[in-house]
Amino acid sequence: MTDPKPARTDANIRRTLADFSVPSEPGNERLAMETVAETVRDLDIRGENLERLKTAVAEATMNAMEHGNKYRSEVPVEIMVLVEDRDLMVRITDSGSGPPPAQAGDVPDLEAKLEGMQTARGWGLFLIKSMVDEMNITGDDGHHTIELVVHLGAEGGK
Amino acid sequence: MPEAQVKMNVRGAGEKASIIDVQGELTAFAEGVLMDAYNQASDGQVRAIILNFEDLEYMNSSGIGLLVTLLIRINREKQQLLTYGLSDHYRSIFQITRLDDAIAIHDSEEEAVRAANSA
Repeated sequence: MTDPKPARTDANIRRTLADFSVPSEPGNERLAMETVAETVRDLDIRGENLERLKTAVAEATMNAMEHGNKYRSEVPVEIMVLVEDRDLMVRITDSGSGPPPAQAGDVPDLEAKLEGMQTARGWGLFLIKSMVDEMNITGDDGHHTIELVVHLGAEGGK
Repeated sequence: MPEAQVKMNVRGAGEKASIIDVQGELTAFAEGVLMDAYNQASDGQVRAIILNFEDLEYMNSSGIGLLVTLLIRINREKQQLLTYGLSDHYRSIFQITRLDDAIAIHDSEEEAVRAANSA
């Protein structure tokens, strides 16, 4: 993992709290999750809201390593943590080609899975969307980015 | 495939139930360990499997998928799946995924064993 770079401040009050990468190796989603948790330690996000952010970061990083970077360890997943006004944003970028995952995606249906009509897997994007206030997916020819947004404060987090 | 970061211990809990103690991470890499534990736990007249999550450190979406696979096997065998020891966070994930409709969640081992053996 590259070391988180020191914070910098943009003119439009957006602050970058961390900018780091992890190799695409199984298990590194936990490294990403713990690094983000440490980065936001002093922000107004704790308890269950923090646990939800950690789960979303882990799932998005796992998606990036598996589907975007095909678990090629030499291809890193880039992670940025930013704050703007009362929003915390975590941007997770892979080097995948082709269309990014559909924002809406298929909603997993437990009964359909138990009856064999859907695969037992396929919970990742649904979990991410359920854990944060906003999930935005963007992409171009060589990259996909999942942006996780949590509204900070008493009403923040789902 | 990387080594699973999980250990599972199987023990009896009355005439009809077995407990699987899950220690560590429930991820895709735990599949072999979980299915071996289930096979061991299903010996004899066991009608209920209880997952003890008191020492669960981490579960991801692949782990949820594993639980669905286990549920399919358990339903096929007309058994029942119960749990106890889930943290508040993983309880909320069970609610969001509706796993709590299919897996009975209990607060303690005593309560889960009582429910398993009275079914």
